[in-house]
Order: sequence, then C-alpha cells, then structure tokens
Amino acid sequence: MLGLIKKDLLMIKSNLKILVILLFVYGFMTYQGEMSLLFVLPFMSVMIMISTFSYDTYNKWDAYVCSLPDGRKNSVRAKYLATILLIIATTIIITILSVVISYIQTKVIDFENIFSTIFGAVFATALLQSFMYPSIYKFGVEKARIGIFIVVFGGAIICGIISQFVDFKPLLQALDILENYWMIIFPLAIIVILYLSYKISGCIYKKKEY
Amino acid sequence: MENILEVKNLSKKYTGFELKNISFELPKGMIMGFIGENGAGKTTTIKAILDIIKNYTGEIKVFGLDNRKDDKKIKEDVGVVLDDMFFPEILIPNDINSIMKDTYKNWDSNLYFKYLSDFDLPKNKQIKTFSKGMRKKLEIATALSHHPKLLILDEPTSGLDPIARNEVIDIFQDFIQNEECSILLSSHITTDLEHIADYITFINNGEILLQKTCDELLGKYGIVKCTESEFKKMDKSDFIKYRKTKYEYEVLVENKKEFSKKYGNNTIDKITLEDLMVLMIKGVK
Repeated sequence: MLGLIKKDLLMIKSNLKILVILLFVYGFMTYQGEMSLLFVLPFMSVMIMISTFSYDTYNKWDAYVCSLPDGRKNSVRAKYLATILLIIATTIIITILSVVISYIQTKVIDFENIFSTIFGAVFATALLQSFMYPSIYKFGVEKARIGIFIVVFGGAIICGIISQFVDFKPLLQALDILENYWMIIFPLAIIVILYLSYKISGCIYKKKEY
Repeated sequence: MENILEVKNLSKKYTGFELKNISFELPKGMIMGFIGENGAGKTTTIKAILDIIKNYTGEIKVFGLDNRKDDKKIKEDVGVVLDDMFFPEILIPNDINSIMKDTYKNWDSNLYFKYLSDFDLPKNKQIKTFSKGMRKKLEIATALSHHPKLLILDEPTSGLDPIARNEVIDIFQDFIQNEECSILLSSHITTDLEHIADYITFINNGEILLQKTCDELLGKYGIVKCTESEFKKMDKSDFIKYRKTKYEYEVLVENKKEFSKKYGNNTIDKITLEDLMVLMIKGVK
C-alpha cells in the first residue's frame, strides 16, 4: 500500500511549483488583510486531491491498479491516507504562516483564535472530502463535482431561506456549550467522518468494474 | 504439459454484449495469440482473468490457483500491459520505480532502468510528454521488471514502429526461453503473432471461434481462389467459409493437402492470420 500512497503524493509533488506560487499569493493577500489563508489553504487541499482523481480517471488508473497485487483492496485506503497526510501537512503550513503573518501584522499572536479557526476550516474540508470521495467512486469525478456543487450551494440557499422563518439562536446557544471542547471534538469528528466515508468508498470500489 | 493459465466456461453479460463460455488453456513456456475484431471480447476476457471486472461466471486458474481467492499471490507473478490503462501521465518513470518497489516483492529497479535505457526512455520526463510508442515501451518495461512468470498483454505493440516492435518481440521470445514463463498476447498486428505465437485463440462476438497451434493454422489451412463455376463444384463440407470478391471466390479450407487431392487443379494460397480473421468474420458458409 505504501506504493499507492506514494503515487498520490508524487502526483501532488508534480504540481508543487503551482502550489508554492499560490501559497505566496494567498499569503500576501492575507498579509494585506484581503482574505484569510486559514480558509483558502484547506480548500486548496481538497482541489489538489480532486485533481489526483481527475488524472486517475483520464489515464484509467483504476483498471490498472486492479491488476497490481492487492491493488483493488489498497487503492481506496491509500487515497484516504494520502488525504490525511495532506490535511496534516496543510494544517502545519497554515499554522506556521498564520502565526508569522499575525505576528508581523499585530505583534500579538492569538493562538486560541488561530487554532479554533484552523480546526474549523480543516473540519469543513474533511467534511467536504468525506462527501465527495464516495460520490467520485460511485459516479466519477465530473458528475461528483457537479453533484457536490449543487448540494453545497443548494443547501446554503435552502438554509438561507429556512433561516428567514426559523430562529436558530437556541441551537447556536446549545452549540456554545461545546466551545470549551472543540480541541477534542473537531479532531474526533474529522476521524469519524473520514472513517465512515472510507468504509462507504471501499464498499463502492470493491464492487465496481473498470 | 502443465498449464499456467486455465479459463473454463467464462461468461459475462452486458447490455448488448455477452461473453459466452470462453474456455482455453495456456501451457507453460508458450505464447498464445488472442485475436479478434474490436469489441469481440478480448479485453473483457483479460479483465476477467485479472479480476478487474466482476459478476462473471466460470472458473479461471492462474498458476493452478483461483484468480479470485488467490488474487494477491497470483498478481505478484503476473506482468500486465492493458490497452490505454496506466499510471497518471503527470508522473515520471523514476516515480514508477519508486511506487513499484513498494508494490511488488520482486521489483527489480536495476532491470527496470536497464529496460528504460534499452528503450531510450528518459527517466525524468513526465509521461504526458511521451509519444504513443514511448508510452507503450514504458508500459512493457514496467510489466517486465518484477520478474513475472506470466505476461498478459493487451495490444502491447500498437503504436510501435517496426524496429521497436521487433525489439519488443525479441524480448518476449527471450522471456519464455526458460520454459517456465508464458504470454497471453492480444493483438491486432497479426504478423507479430505469426512470428512468435505457439497457439492462436480466435474470439468473435463473445465466443471462441477457433483454437489451434499456430503451426497447424498456418501450415494446414489455406485459401482457395477460384471462379464461380469452380466454387459451385465444391462440396460444402470441404470448406469452412467463403467470400465472393469482385473478381473471384476466396474459400477457406482446413486442410490444404486433402483439398488439393480432391479438387486438384485449384490454386491454394498460404493463409495469414489476417486472411483467416477476415474470412471467418466476413465469410459465409
């Protein structure tokens, strides 16, 4: 399986130049106060992983990998492990950059604010990936991309409409109770969601014909 | 003779296409040419052998082991070239070495780089910059570099120029020299198969039409070219199929010598695999 994890990481490495340039651009924009690196980078990591699916599809990798020893069994596992490694790497990079930028801008580092925002962003990223991967394995990368776009934006519109008629304040107040436990809740939730997603993707991949 | 690959009653249904009771055996030390027109079922059969497709019936044994139960063990010793299915093209040949040494127990980096050098392939250029022929060579190098005992090759020589094809065919012939290794080779370039195949399996519309040794096919079978009146004198049981062309009748016969004895004065040409395919598919009885 190590070989298959390497394959995804080497694919990411092939696009490293572009990633470093984007990192500097977003870092500069964050420094200028125009946007937050904390939100952009985790979503960039989603796009990076989706691009590996696109290359896999284009070169019919999934058929080829099934001809390798334990290829079908390990392919999905490797993709999720590469994702986790990328999430960890992204978290480390944005933490360092955020601390540096925050220090340059204000000479004060608000660790709690930085970490809670990072965990929130990484949680949202993991959630998005957890929905996307099974959809990609089931419907293919193009259909899944459109599907997720519809679900995310459709969901946002529906929530917006509902919020006009329903008072969410009690729910948000209830969530405030969790405020002191986010350091435990976010990582745990990420692990559980990714694990469930991995199991669903595994079931789909096991039965799929290429 | 011990078989390295046995396919028994392999069947698989798709909408509009069906693989029907495919059976064949590939002995050790032999090369089997797997021929048929596009969509005949060659790739589907290969995918079933490799368990890439699902929900097929029948029995497939590789090295005497069940292809589904002993999947991992089998694949450690099988080298594969699949038509247009390979590593993502943003990778470079060096990456493939790095990935494969953690995939196959017997991966031989030195052998892989030797093939790259023999094929004049760059190690550090992305696959997407390669020509079709270069990609094919890279796929062949990758298939051979873990010392497999069985090669399953789907169109391995398509896109190669005659010199590269010759080079690759020599490699395939060397591969079976120890008489322990075998090759299942699906190809449209039937002249290559005439040079190297020991057996020919001909599939059409999901069914095996013919299975013979290559020597028997090329030595015994023949094409009679004759006029309409000569054709009308022939007994239907004496030929397999015939085809009416603009100027003459082409008649496929199973035994040149016997036919010659019976009908004497007809010209009987040696058959090529291409002639055989055309007459078997386009001809009528």
